[in-house]
Amino acid sequence: MFGRKKANEAAGSGGAVAVGLGEMLQEITKRYKRKQAIHFENVTYTYQELDENANRVAGGLEALGVRQGDRVAMMLPNIPEFAFTFFGIQKLGGVAVPFNTMYKGREISFILKDSGAKAIVCLSNFANLINEIRDECPALEHVIVTGQRTLVFVDPDATVNVQLVVEKTNFESADSVFHTVGGVLVDAFQAAGVKDAWYKHMGAIRAHGKKLATILVSEIENLYVVNVVGFLKTMDADPLFRVLWVPPEIKDKAVEPSTSVEEESGTTITLEAFKDLLVEQFTKKLGVTFDVGELTRDEQLAYQKNRALAGRI
Amino acid sequence: MADGRTWRLIYNPEGDTTDVVAYGAAVAEGRIAGKYQLSSTSVPDTLIVQRSTVRGIIAGADVRIDRDLATREGIQLAKAARQGRNSARAVGTIQLSEVMAKGSRAYDAKRVKPEDPAVILYTSGTTGNPKGVTLTHENFLFQRNTIVPSIMEFTEFDRTVGVLPLYHVYGLSNGLIPTVNAGAGFVMVAQYSPQSLLSAIADTKATIMPAIPSMYQHLLTIARARKTTMPKSLRMCVSGGAPLPLSVLREFMEVFDTQIVEGYGLTETASCVSANGRGGVFKEGSIGPVATGVEMTIFDDNDSELPVGEVGEIVIRSRTVTPGYWNDPAATSDAINPDGWFHTGDLGYRDEDGFFFITDRKKDLIIRGGFNISPREVEEVIMLHPAIQDAAVVAAPDKHDQEMVVAYVVLKEGESLTGREVMDHCVANMAPYKRPKNVVFVDTLPKSATGKVLRTELRGEATDRRLVERSE
Repeated sequence: MFGRKKANEAAGSGGAVAVGLGEMLQEITKRYKRKQAIHFENVTYTYQELDENANRVAGGLEALGVRQGDRVAMMLPNIPEFAFTFFGIQKLGGVAVPFNTMYKGREISFILKDSGAKAIVCLSNFANLINEIRDECPALEHVIVTGQRTLVFVDPDATVNVQLVVEKTNFESADSVFHTVGGVLVDAFQAAGVKDAWYKHMGAIRAHGKKLATILVSEIENLYVVNVVGFLKTMDADPLFRVLWVPPEIKDKAVEPSTSVEEESGTTITLEAFKDLLVEQFTKKLGVTFDVGELTRDEQLAYQKNRALAGRI
Repeated sequence: MADGRTWRLIYNPEGDTTDVVAYGAAVAEGRIAGKYQLSSTSVPDTLIVQRSTVRGIIAGADVRIDRDLATREGIQLAKAARQGRNSARAVGTIQLSEVMAKGSRAYDAKRVKPEDPAVILYTSGTTGNPKGVTLTHENFLFQRNTIVPSIMEFTEFDRTVGVLPLYHVYGLSNGLIPTVNAGAGFVMVAQYSPQSLLSAIADTKATIMPAIPSMYQHLLTIARARKTTMPKSLRMCVSGGAPLPLSVLREFMEVFDTQIVEGYGLTETASCVSANGRGGVFKEGSIGPVATGVEMTIFDDNDSELPVGEVGEIVIRSRTVTPGYWNDPAATSDAINPDGWFHTGDLGYRDEDGFFFITDRKKDLIIRGGFNISPREVEEVIMLHPAIQDAAVVAAPDKHDQEMVVAYVVLKEGESLTGREVMDHCVANMAPYKRPKNVVFVDTLPKSATGKVLRTELRGEATDRRLVERSE
């Protein structure tokens, strides 16, 4: 495909039966079935288990329409799912496109566009990054997520957490949830003085390229659950990085470049005032009115249970 | 649609980190229960606005956090709600477990041709977009069956520490793939910290470790501080990505009772093509002789071979070399000549014993008054200063628009120096045209995942590709 001369002069020969990486795993598995292949924390997988998991990925991707020669991107750290996915893609005859898990924004969209990846397998907490640039990657049909690696920083002075739990019938589609909440947030941030605030497709409010708020829309049964983290002031992430070890030279690449109302407008806004702006914009955009309320008695019980669960880390 | 409805507003300005998780979950659970009790109207749609009055981290079950340290730092930890098949999941996504459920345990690997692409790995260039390096099944076949065995032996009895990121050619080609090829065990470290690496080695009695210089340094720092016995299970280590200081190499081999070979390779060569220290033969500062099945030599600017000792561009020809860049024939023909020689962009020379030495990256050379200045040579002199931990020099335009040398210096902990003192050190140790004209003190140097100094960032040429700009 690239039309260059073969390096005939180079000595040596492969000389193995299994040419492909998928066949390699298959052949090795025949020989070492019960031997441990992957150790991860306290879990081990034998070669047979590795091969079977890779087979499930290969068959599953095929069921989604991925074919031999198709590119499948991977944004995964060193977890067993990396090996399952990598060898699954190889067994299917696909082309694996693994890339740096610290990539953000345009770095990701360029790779997805250039490779023409049909699917991406990533950590669940990267779904938001992918969704945000998904409209720029027409070949991308499937965002496949795994793992429980959500990481959200909260800071008393800097962050505001907004959640919306709504019946699905309130919206035409998940996309319209993103658009509506995105529009509400843009107007609220603009009213708070961030003139450059704009909504990026499915996932973020940005100003000058940096993140001002993240929007994650999840669905469960009859509900859409929207989680927003917004930045009102500049957050000092240093104390957080002290408990979450990241090599110092890559620290600035581990988090997305973010900005805040304070940084963008030079003024500060209280949580109360921001809440009022949100209510005003939701009313304007959706025609809903708000009653200030508390959790019901049943919800209180669920709240106590969830607090206990969240605290058990 | 929502028009005309009344929603509930819950405002919680005095909550904590667990509240952020618990309020949303409680309301969602109430609504789901309501659906089955046919009384969903009793719990209205809800907007929750809250703030935590304490600094905190909401983390998924798989994120590793030092709990004791968090308590000491006053950081509250909360476990994020599970995402998955039976719980909330991000819209527009599908769980890997659901995809796998569509497949079965048995699947016969598709036959591929040697020249079929297996992997595309994107490498960042100095300017413009990253390039997709296409690696074929043949590239990996040759790397695992011919090159790797000539440098180090992987056996079925080995356990390899997989601490290098597997999205990088080094971790993939010299970690996961040769391990599987040998039927050995692969120990995955998802989140690198010196402690997690040390635990992985000790807990699994790992025998092989491919790593980068900073990891060797970090492990030694722990060994020195603890003064306890370090695990002695490692029989073979590889260092790559950036040069490993000789003092670190020697101390590590002694403390961990192991051998280290220093490898050299690029994404375009499916990783390793040469190694220093094989069979105990080690030449300081060298990337070693070539591995089996690799031709490597030095070319001048006209692709003519240079004799022993002369500095030129290192070029490589082998079945492990990429056929080219994905979607980029121009970059491919720039890098690989019609005879199949791949231009590495690294400058260096070879000695009479066939050992190769890298001097610099071609594009990093600084040219001043017609003289070539080697950044590495200047850095090595600067780092001779006992108070200096790390240094990198790059070119910057002076007031006459000539290139001048600017030094970025990281001091050792507890040390202090002035720019003048660094300059004085240089005056005593190098020719005038090589001396830095400006010294900038920094806390750390920007580095890549494999520990290479990112000079483009120091030169201010790098555009921040993490940003998402408005396209309209």
